[in-house]
Amino acid sequence: MNDFDLVRKNLFRRKLRASLMIVSILIAFMIFGVLAGFYRAFNAGEDRAAADRMITVNKINFTQPMPIAYFNRVKSVEGVRQVTFANWFGGYYQDPKNFIMALAIEPNTYFDVYRSEFEVAPDQLQAFMRDRGSAVVGESLAQKWGWKIGDRIPLNSNIFSQKSGGHTWDLTIAGIVKGKAEHVDTNFLLFQYPYFDETRSFGKDTIGWMILQTTSPENNDRVAKAIDAMFANSTAETSTDTEKAFGKAFAAQFGNIALIVLLVVGAAFVTILMIVGNTMALSIRERTREIGVLKTLGFSGPRILTMVLGESVLLALLGGIPGLAIAALIAMALRNSLANVAPAFSVSPTIALQGLGLMIALGLITGIIPALNAMRLRIATALGRG
Amino acid sequence: MRSLWLQVAAVTTINLKSIGQRRWLSLSTVIAIALVVIVLLAFLAMANGFQRTIAGSGADDIAIVLRAGSQAEINSTVSRDQVRLIEDGPGIARGSDGKPLISPELYLVVDGIKRSTKTKANLPLRGIGEQGSESRKGITITEGRMFNRGSNEVVVGKALLREFEGLDLGSTVSFGATRWNVVGIFESGGSVFESEIWADLNVVQSLFNRNNIVQTVRARLTGPAALNELKSYSDNDPRLKLDVKSEAAYFAEQASQTSDLIQKLGWPLAIAMALGAIAGALNTMYSSVASRATEIATLRAIGFGGFPAFVGTLAESLLLAAIGGLLGAAATYLIFDGVTASTLGGNFTQVVFDFKLSPWLIAEGVALALIVGLIGGLFPALRAARLPIVEGLYAN
Amino acid sequence: MTAEHPMVRLAGVAKRFTKGKETISIFDHLDMAIPRGDFIAVMGPSGSGKTTLLNLLGGIDRADAGEISVADRRIDGLSEGELAAWRAANIGFIFQFYNLMPMLTAAQNVELPLLLTKLRSKERAARVQTALSVVGLADRMKHRPREMSGGQQQRVAIARAIVSDPNLLLCDEPTGDLDRQSADEILSILQLLNGELGKTIVMVTHDPAAANYAKRVLHLDKGRFVERELAA
Ligand SMILES: Nc1ncnc2c1ncn2[C@@H]1O[C@H](COP(=O)(O)OP(=O)(O)OP(=O)(O)O)[C@@H](O)[C@H]1O
Ligand SMILES: [Mg+2]
Repeated sequence: MNDFDLVRKNLFRRKLRASLMIVSILIAFMIFGVLAGFYRAFNAGEDRAAADRMITVNKINFTQPMPIAYFNRVKSVEGVRQVTFANWFGGYYQDPKNFIMALAIEPNTYFDVYRSEFEVAPDQLQAFMRDRGSAVVGESLAQKWGWKIGDRIPLNSNIFSQKSGGHTWDLTIAGIVKGKAEHVDTNFLLFQYPYFDETRSFGKDTIGWMILQTTSPENNDRVAKAIDAMFANSTAETSTDTEKAFGKAFAAQFGNIALIVLLVVGAAFVTILMIVGNTMALSIRERTREIGVLKTLGFSGPRILTMVLGESVLLALLGGIPGLAIAALIAMALRNSLANVAPAFSVSPTIALQGLGLMIALGLITGIIPALNAMRLRIATALGRG
Repeated sequence: MRSLWLQVAAVTTINLKSIGQRRWLSLSTVIAIALVVIVLLAFLAMANGFQRTIAGSGADDIAIVLRAGSQAEINSTVSRDQVRLIEDGPGIARGSDGKPLISPELYLVVDGIKRSTKTKANLPLRGIGEQGSESRKGITITEGRMFNRGSNEVVVGKALLREFEGLDLGSTVSFGATRWNVVGIFESGGSVFESEIWADLNVVQSLFNRNNIVQTVRARLTGPAALNELKSYSDNDPRLKLDVKSEAAYFAEQASQTSDLIQKLGWPLAIAMALGAIAGALNTMYSSVASRATEIATLRAIGFGGFPAFVGTLAESLLLAAIGGLLGAAATYLIFDGVTASTLGGNFTQVVFDFKLSPWLIAEGVALALIVGLIGGLFPALRAARLPIVEGLYAN
Repeated sequence: MTAEHPMVRLAGVAKRFTKGKETISIFDHLDMAIPRGDFIAVMGPSGSGKTTLLNLLGGIDRADAGEISVADRRIDGLSEGELAAWRAANIGFIFQFYNLMPMLTAAQNVELPLLLTKLRSKERAARVQTALSVVGLADRMKHRPREMSGGQQQRVAIARAIVSDPNLLLCDEPTGDLDRQSADEILSILQLLNGELGKTIVMVTHDPAAANYAKRVLHLDKGRFVERELAA
């Protein structure tokens, strides 16, 4: 036996009470894990954003188009290493409810700009460039629909129409796009802009937005100013921003998600803080006499303080760790269905570490007052009469 | 029978009086339950407010015509020819001048700056046809006047004004290289139109390079029944093949996605928290039973039954839960009711809405609280009823 | 074991309690010496300060004035932490209500004071075994307090008090809660600890029969001792 055994036995002397505490702590940390994971995934675009990548959109709004001629002009701006562009397609598969994140892209440059995120096997990329009517599909989207290379996919648009009248483009899958890191979302389909532009019934020669890579992040500001100045006073003025700033502004459009997450997690923690704190106080009060006896035996005040704190921290860990584990499972289960809102939803090591910190903090906070009382307890009072 | 009630009353009184001995633990249970109810009601009030704003926007006797499969106005395109064909369609009401009450419209997204965060957000700029406000209901200009046809003037919805900067009456706003004068503020009974900016269709078309392009058509019908006539007219003409929906149905679809999502977040969170609160309530009530073990056993020894002990414990738990539930509902009402928020709606633009509690939602919140109290009290109450007398007599 | 080196020495000890505005003085000026190897029974009316005296001797309460030495060491000036360490090494306490930890087995209860030593778990186990054998409970190692009679629990408490081999045992009505036979067993054990192992014992009791086991009886009344030698 050692002090830890003593702490453990103290904690579990009332098994039911300990279990109930553990359950409520578990739930609070489950909520924390899920929401923190969701929040991180929701803002992942922002975290992931490469420092040297910028987005140029129409100044009116990023949904407004701009002329394709801008592409070549931006290419020649000093400090720009590479430019590519994309156009929103408004894709769906079979039924309007099956939204597909589909973009018509500039095939020669797109994967160069995104080379640190995406990877396409060279032969597949070659095939994609050769066949104007082909598409490459992100790994997770391909998995979702069971698509394979060579499949012919009728992709509908809820915006565009073919010159021939229909809303459907038939695309052959030429390759699969793999994410280069675990958190890269691959829930998309990309196909050739030239083919799209040629076949659509309106909007010809316009593009949605440009993505450019600067020679160095230090040039970002200068490049942005140069580009926006170049198109000032034209019918399509531009606004150039870092990928990070753009992602952040877009995420903010959904509302103050951070505040909501904070409030809910806060409410959950205040709840357990109250419940666990009071229960710890109660259970230490019930043991006043025993603490007196321990002191009589020669256990010092600080040692008793440590034991009580150890008990509350142990309680927090016993509830918190499985809580985070369950959160990780929930994140795994919801991952696919939330792929559009919060790609790569998971309880990351950082979140787990933050959780661990919170557990220890929770344990210390709920234990500190009873522990101080126990430490200061006067033996004569504790043993009392009789 | 009377004796049983006396017993129940006696034990319940003992229970309720003893709450004071566990005031901190009891208070923590009350607060835990209140927090659960606050979280639930805040989400439900958000979903409800959003739902009311959008779903409240639609009328049964106004039709909205969209490109087939486009789902939202922002995606749709309707050609000039199609607009003309619809003008000639059946079931469309006519104004005093005999012209059909239809409004071809262009729905563009422009950037606005949110007051709270100073970040860019998508706002809808709607170019409306000549009959734009007549083909809708309940539109009133509360300040200033309606824009003049053919000029670069806009009127701004009242809700947008609250949440976004630089749209005040008399100011000039620029969208890209275009400049617009704000000449009026309009109201539409709290509907989603109050989150929009309106201008003359022709001016919007020319300043935004969308000559001759129209996205949707709104048509005032002679009555709700006329919708089906217009629908079959569109279905049977190969040049049309458009989606014809009542405005009410269109907005109901739009609202349900977002408010479903909010509810789908709110309920699991509240239920998870409720489980935590149940653990807290169980703990409190077991402590209550333990601290009254001697009293209960003494009463049992005198001849009281187990049932009063059961009822007393349950009553204590339900009382705590009810207090928590009402506290939570009151707090939600004070903190959240009427709070304005905005989020991206189905049209990819900001929808401004208010959190809105309703008696029914409050009932849901209190019901959840009582369920927590019921489960949290049931097992301890059973223990109280079954407590072996001897053990209780010598507890402490 | 000369008079100059007694086990316990009190000189001019004063102890007062203040309750609100009222101050009650338990001891004004108490002097006392207990030789090494003594076995004293302290008797006296309820409220005369017997428990208070034991608390002062064991360093779990502080005197308001005077000197207290145990085995030639002044304890009245020690800090709380120093006192705790000192108690662990020098004092064994035995209470009327045993005060065992309900969630620990007999062996674990006895082992508690050893957690404060540097002994390894093997050595600790051996000591626990010895202590429990002394009190005749070697076969009850794995039992929890609630599975034992009052007398057995008190024997576990004695084992706990002697396991770290302290010199001074302080017993507050150790048989107050026991029947005659169990009480006699406990008292015999105390006598054995005093006689065979040379422990100095101070035992508070209300029971004249229990006092008979001691070498001398001190009567405490109104803050003073009235000594009476027992007939050998
Ligand atoms: N913490 C305290 N605060 C106030 N008064 C106290 C305190 N502890 C003891 N006393 C008082 O000191 C006196 C002596 O108490 P003590 O417990 O030493 O008596 P005792 O001789 O052990 O009595 P008993 O035989 O009943 O155990 C009593 O009058 C008691 O009320
Ligand atoms: Mg006493």
